[in-house]
Amino acid sequence: MMSSDDVDKNEGESNFLLGLTGLGLLAAIFAIFIYAPTERTEGVIQRIMYFHVPSAWLSFFAFFIVFICSILFLWKKDREWDIYAHASAEIGVIFCSLVLITGPIWGAWWVWDARLTSTLILWIIYVAYLMLRSQSDAGSMRARYSAVLGIVGFLNIPFIHFSVLWWRTFHPQPKVISSEGFGKGMETGMLATLGVSLFAFTLLYFLLMGLRVRQEKLKDEIDKLKRETLYSS
Amino acid sequence: MDNLGFLFAANAFIWGGIIYYVYTLKKRSRALEKDLELLKENLSKEG
Repeated sequence: MMSSDDVDKNEGESNFLLGLTGLGLLAAIFAIFIYAPTERTEGVIQRIMYFHVPSAWLSFFAFFIVFICSILFLWKKDREWDIYAHASAEIGVIFCSLVLITGPIWGAWWVWDARLTSTLILWIIYVAYLMLRSQSDAGSMRARYSAVLGIVGFLNIPFIHFSVLWWRTFHPQPKVISSEGFGKGMETGMLATLGVSLFAFTLLYFLLMGLRVRQEKLKDEIDKLKRETLYSS
Repeated sequence: MDNLGFLFAANAFIWGGIIYYVYTLKKRSRALEKDLELLKENLSKEG
């Protein structure tokens, strides 16, 4: 059970992470708009990449956490893993939506190619995951079905990653990790800006995750106390 | 407004949304903490 000391400690940790994330995001904004060189052929619009790629990284990372936590839930049957999976899925859907919005602004309006379509399918799967959770009664069955969907949904991610290599797609080929080697396809200033942006987005993930998990745990504790009061009276 | 201006405006809009989301999460957590404290207080009074 959470004591008031735990609550204060959590609040302190969350404020520290909030400050760190804020600094990281300011550094990313500075790098994106001032430090990063302008791309020769695409011009200013290419700077969307510093938002689009970290959003994609964050959503894939979030869904990877859903995958791991869902496996751990099915194995250990511990509600804690279900909370982590749910929180991570919510964050993943938010950033996957941003990927789907920023991509067409950067490139061209919707094209039904392998990368775009498989990313849309990923988004639909995890929106379904959140709908399943919100429409069914809280309990072990909801957690179990969600865990299965969370695992199945993640299997789409390797397909998304390799789609640009397996087929001729409208989406550009990977530039950071390419066949030429790590970062060889990009200028140093661009690579550094992307690195700062990726770091800031990763911090943002941990901040959001901490806040969502804390909220779910508080809700659980309130429900538990209410149930105990109901049965004792 | 030039392209960089539009890009900055779009960025500010999205960051605004994310900051608002963080704010609502923190606000909701504080409300839940308050509820929990109240519940515990009431239970200790009854017990």
